[in-house]
Amino acid sequence: MNALQAACATRREGAAFRAFAVCITAVLLYAGCHVKLIGDYDDTIDKGISDVQQRAELYFAKLQSSPDTPYDQSFYDDMRSRLATLKTRASASYKKDILVRQISELQSEFGKFQELDQGAKRPIAAALVTSAESAISVSVESILTLELALKRGVPAAPAATK
Amino acid sequence: MSQLDVGTLASQMLEAALPILKKGAQEAESFAKTEFTKIAHTIVAIGEQVATGQISQQQAGLLLDMQKSASRTVLLTLEGLALLAVEEAINAALDVIKGVVNTALKFPLIP
Repeated sequence: MNALQAACATRREGAAFRAFAVCITAVLLYAGCHVKLIGDYDDTIDKGISDVQQRAELYFAKLQSSPDTPYDQSFYDDMRSRLATLKTRASASYKKDILVRQISELQSEFGKFQELDQGAKRPIAAALVTSAESAISVSVESILTLELALKRGVPAAPAATK
Repeated sequence: MSQLDVGTLASQMLEAALPILKKGAQEAESFAKTEFTKIAHTIVAIGEQVATGQISQQQAGLLLDMQKSASRTVLLTLEGLALLAVEEAINAALDVIKGVVNTALKFPLIP
């Protein structure tokens, strides 16, 4: 093949590639492809985490108002079960790895507080309860802040009318 | 068919994306400041509680572990908020491409 034939072949290949790239771009844009980097808001997770916080706050309030309140294993069993269920749901959801990791951190915090609670003499030191409550509260706020942000400013659907 | 200009298209995409990224950064900063301040207060309080004998060193260690977990949860939220902001910015820029291409071709190639 001479130089002219080689140049024509290269030019045809280049043109074919460019046409292919334009077609693929057009197809992707035509499909209206929007990027999604993180999962959607989940009402069950929102309510579940809020419920965990409410139960925890009730336990903290009992310890603070009655420092002789004995250690309650059933509280920790309940928290473990609820958080495990929420973590399973998050793990099964699309692009919710951040939430899975956050729930793991919250599980760890409850584990540490259980250790503190179980080992603490009664009456339990108020300082202990306050500091632990603060950590759990910050974690819950962080989880809910992100979860609510995942609503992405979508307004509530209007009620159907006839 | 009017020519698509790379420089103009890039500027328009940036014009769509940048305000979203700036707003996202401001919101993330506000959240981070609030939460890290709470954590800092608690860590200082833990130190004082050990010093005054209200809690033991072992208890302080466990409480600090809880604060570290809380800090990681805050950072994870910041990561999530950043992803959301980038997602919104990219999608805004993609919408600009749609508008510009349809205008240049003078028919709605991309609906």
